[in-house]
Amino acid sequence: MQTMTLSQTCVMAILQAIAVVIFIFIVVPLTTFAERKVLGYLQDRLGATRIAGSRNGLTGFLNRGMWKMGKVPFLSIVRGLPMFIGDIIKLLVKEDIIPDKADRAIFIIAPALSMVASVVVFAAISFYPGALFTFPRCVPVIGGLPFTGFITNMNVGLLFILGIASVGVYGIVLGAWSSNSKFPLLGGLRSAAQIVSYEVPLTLSLMVPVVLSGSLNFNEMTRMVATQMPIWAVPLLFVGFFVYFTCGFAETNRMPFDMPEAENELVAGFHTEYSGMKFGFFYLAEYINMIVVAALASAFFLGGPFLLPFGLQSFVPATWPLIGGPNVIWFLLKIFFLLFTFIWVRGTIPRYRYDQIMAIAWKYLIPFTLVDVALAAVVRFTMA
Amino acid sequence: MFKNEEMEINMGPQHPSTHGVLRLKLRLDGEVVKHCRPVIGYLHRGVEKICENKTFFQGQVWTDRMDYTSAVANNLGWAEAVEKLFGITVPRRAQYIRTMLNEYNRLASHLIWLATHALDIGAMTVFLYTFREREAILDMFEAFCGARLTTTAFRIGGLREDLPPGFEKMARTFQARFLDCIDEYETLLTENRIWKKRTIGVGMLKAEDAIAMGVTGPVLRAAGVPYDIRKAFPYAAYAEMDFEVPTRPEADTYARYLVRLAEMRQSHRIIDQCLGGLPEGPVMAKLPKILRAEVNEVYHPTECPKGELGYYLVGEKGSTNPYRFHVRAPGFINLQALPMMIEGSLVADVIATIGTLDVVLGEIDR
Repeated sequence: MQTMTLSQTCVMAILQAIAVVIFIFIVVPLTTFAERKVLGYLQDRLGATRIAGSRNGLTGFLNRGMWKMGKVPFLSIVRGLPMFIGDIIKLLVKEDIIPDKADRAIFIIAPALSMVASVVVFAAISFYPGALFTFPRCVPVIGGLPFTGFITNMNVGLLFILGIASVGVYGIVLGAWSSNSKFPLLGGLRSAAQIVSYEVPLTLSLMVPVVLSGSLNFNEMTRMVATQMPIWAVPLLFVGFFVYFTCGFAETNRMPFDMPEAENELVAGFHTEYSGMKFGFFYLAEYINMIVVAALASAFFLGGPFLLPFGLQSFVPATWPLIGGPNVIWFLLKIFFLLFTFIWVRGTIPRYRYDQIMAIAWKYLIPFTLVDVALAAVVRFTMA
Repeated sequence: MFKNEEMEINMGPQHPSTHGVLRLKLRLDGEVVKHCRPVIGYLHRGVEKICENKTFFQGQVWTDRMDYTSAVANNLGWAEAVEKLFGITVPRRAQYIRTMLNEYNRLASHLIWLATHALDIGAMTVFLYTFREREAILDMFEAFCGARLTTTAFRIGGLREDLPPGFEKMARTFQARFLDCIDEYETLLTENRIWKKRTIGVGMLKAEDAIAMGVTGPVLRAAGVPYDIRKAFPYAAYAEMDFEVPTRPEADTYARYLVRLAEMRQSHRIIDQCLGGLPEGPVMAKLPKILRAEVNEVYHPTECPKGELGYYLVGEKGSTNPYRFHVRAPGFINLQALPMMIEGSLVADVIATIGTLDVVLGEIDR
């Protein structure tokens, strides 16, 4: 890669940041829509098939169109797609209430903190280890430069991700505290304990690919874990994936670990007092976190842009077309599959109790992962 | 500087899982419930007093509005209590149809219980599966009496109309698939580790405590006491039905879940017998236009899905209204045991325990 001038770097970084933000803000609403539909079909109902609004005008026009689509077998699945814009519009135009007794400044900052923490993580996530395409020469400033599948290729990418992601819990705790209300307080207490506890096995499970690859660089780790693993690393990666993904459910407050919001116990948990787009920020942050967890799981355990998971790609010759080398499609497909799994699990199992969740983290996951990391170190030793 | 304070928290009356307008005053130490006091009366309408100002025929309409998830069972209790007061004999065919509808109602009520209980614990899919079957039952109620929720299904002395054409077909279609549906709910819950962890050993209510508190219904039977009014004091056509009273010894939330599921299977069995052995004949007894009471009193217990539903009626000489009307509402009495069941457990268990008691506030507050 040729060295870039400062202006080129700036323009490139901004373009890539915009691309990632667009990706997030397309995938997140689509995930919420998918959640409606997947849950709907899991539960023997249709999910969203129309949007609220008047009989005339745009909503009426869309609803009539969707009614017709319902008669076509395959197209009926995507009825209600305008919902994903409707959801956001609803959140944006809703009255934004700040309780009198709330700590105003913190009350306003908290959702932003949550949101920012989850979006910034994407700075270190690499969707593809090389150039997705090259700008043609005629483009000013950045002509001839490659548009890479990552924003930064920092040496301590994983450390950065873990550091930033752990800020997210402040959004929840501060939001809960500043609401000055009892149910959010209980939710905040739960989430502080839960998220901090689960960060331990989560980080430990990520140590498995770190140890195996001997790197903290996102691209390097992905490539090493996918392609250069001996056969006995496969079960270790599998266990690591299992633990990581379980902790991911807890980190994103999803079923069966949705303690902080546990609707049926704590009304809505930490965001009980929030409304409008402030609530929307918490809501979006949860979904962005889901994407982050899915992206990390696919990158470090499921082979990232390589086809086969758990290091099995090492046994596929790199010269084979399509499946030999990296491809961004595989990465996205894995993310989408894991997002689907989030929804699938939500529709299937009940919620754990708070003390049981803590017991799982401390009694099972942490010892389990420690053994896994130790074994990974042994495998690493044999590799060297 | 540090004080170990207990937090007072109001759960309800507006809360997603207090099943209506139940309010619990909880004193929490962290997540542990130290003290619980249920506050009721937010839905009080004075049903008993209102019924004293209505004729015996009109009173039934008010019983719909008590336990609105099992209106038919409430109607049956009222109709039979009045018939007992006046010594009216109901034709056998009407008895059978009443029994069948009562069992359908038990299914509908247990389905709602399962749905909300599972939803409270977080299994949301069961909710929609059970409502699918409940819909079929409500359709049958609608075909029979025109209403789905507030049925006022019976008349004093029998039924207003015989079963409508097509009812038997609906019933048989339902019967054919319902057992599979129960199995389907069980695949999601019975052996689910999380479900077991959340329910086993939670909300314990031992048999002696349950009896001391007057608790009846599935909650009592899950403590190992085989007390079921349908067997103990048979009413309607239950004496002719062949069914079992499921019990469990464990006395926890999981046992209540299993008992209620087993009860649903038994109800299915009773309905089968009713459908198969439906006698021919009239459905309405000969009655005077106006019922004028003597000085007399009756207490008529029935096995409502929630427990023993007793109607106490006192007649006044020459009056068309009951002189005194009192309801022994199972939910009201079962709720008494709630503090005993949850003190010392976690907040999440409070929700599971409210769910397992299957309270309906319309009936508790009356």
